[in-house]
Amino acid sequence: MIDPIFTIVSLVLIIPIALFLGVIYQYFFRKLSARFQWRVGPMLRMYGDLKPLLGTTRLLQPLYDILKLFGKKTVVPEVSRKKLFVSSPYLSLLFAILAVLFIPFPGMPLLSEAPYSLIIASYLLIASILFTILGPVASGSPWAAIGARREVELFLVSELGFVLSVFSVAIARQTLVIWEISKGEQTLYLALLSVTAGALMLAAMMGKLHIKPFDMPEAEAEIVAGPYTEYSGKLLGTYYLTKVFMLYALVGLFISVFLPPLASSILWLPLYIVAALLILFLLTAVQVLNPRYRIKNAINWYLKVLAILAVVNFVIAVYIWLVL
Amino acid sequence: MGIIDKARIYSPWLYHLHCGGCNGCDIETLAALAPRFDVERFGIQLVPSPRHADILLTTGCVPKQFIPMVKRIYEQVPDPKVVVAVGSCACGGSLFYDDAPENYAILGSPDLLIPVDVYVPGCAPKPEAIINGVVQGILKLAEKASKKE
Repeated sequence: MIDPIFTIVSLVLIIPIALFLGVIYQYFFRKLSARFQWRVGPMLRMYGDLKPLLGTTRLLQPLYDILKLFGKKTVVPEVSRKKLFVSSPYLSLLFAILAVLFIPFPGMPLLSEAPYSLIIASYLLIASILFTILGPVASGSPWAAIGARREVELFLVSELGFVLSVFSVAIARQTLVIWEISKGEQTLYLALLSVTAGALMLAAMMGKLHIKPFDMPEAEAEIVAGPYTEYSGKLLGTYYLTKVFMLYALVGLFISVFLPPLASSILWLPLYIVAALLILFLLTAVQVLNPRYRIKNAINWYLKVLAILAVVNFVIAVYIWLVL
Repeated sequence: MGIIDKARIYSPWLYHLHCGGCNGCDIETLAALAPRFDVERFGIQLVPSPRHADILLTTGCVPKQFIPMVKRIYEQVPDPKVVVAVGSCACGGSLFYDDAPENYAILGSPDLLIPVDVYVPGCAPKPEAIINGVVQGILKLAEKASKKE
């Protein structure tokens, strides 16, 4: 039964938790990819003699980057559509935070008990990505336009995998409420479905988070900084903040939909963290082992590999729905 | 010192501006960013757009054709910012700089166009020297930011 006071308290509490966990995830991502590349990466414990100047730990390095960006001057280009250019980072952040509210955290159902919460959460995630496309388009920079176009194409094909994977689980479990999915018991067939659907979802996550073979929207150095070329100061900081919430939201959604019951009870919290770090390990391994695809190759890969996985996935889901 | 001032010291982002030169300093700069010296330990990152940068790292002397670009890229870096000039050419023109007769193609060091805060001499400077220069730049950055407030 929903307790209104607990829900309100948890809704307020989840935002700092999501921010903290997102920052930790990003730190883990950066540290791990540094270790893969024979580097040290942002330091967990700073050298003794440098501590007074450089701080004791860099565990919150992504947060420091964001805070620094908030302390800098913001440049708005003359040629940009100013209203859209300035407002879209904030709208993107707003939708990412709203999506976080619909994704359960161990011990906190939040709004995921609401009817159709799976559909609402996926729409909010789409809206957030949409505003990371609209802002750059309004900036008037050719690099941002190229980046945004690639982002649109990648978003369309990765969305296919995302929808097919999430909704096959919804078909098999006969519910569109995330909380009910994340509480449900596991059977052999549902576990099998989780494997195929989870692989689909990981592929979709790679596109949404711009993990290496699919980082062509940002394509550092090739098209300057892609969509973010013209952004600076507070607006860029807001986009980086959006990325933090997005990472948390996608990892949280993955765990609650494909690894029930890890996101249901507070007792599962340690395992929830371990599962999140495992997912990040997989994503980092993909990131460091791959070069960048061209957008054409990425679309081909998505359509060919996803098509096969999606068919297998769909057959299992329908079998569970009709037979079991 | 506020949290934002601390964050400024903790995460300086570099933009590498190659004005024109022999590429020697650029190789050393990239060596400073590569795994052996790995400046990401201290949060220093190379960014692809000058709008994201805190520290503008210039190498080489400026050809006359490149004058508008240098000025424009300097203006694109949002405040507070610091310029670090790496190498003998960027510090004073080196062998490309002549008083009379004037060189027809090359203006000289970038400090004739933009205010340079830190000079790292050497032809080419070692990666350790470049990292030391960047650290001096970070300290200047913190100083500039606190003066403005």
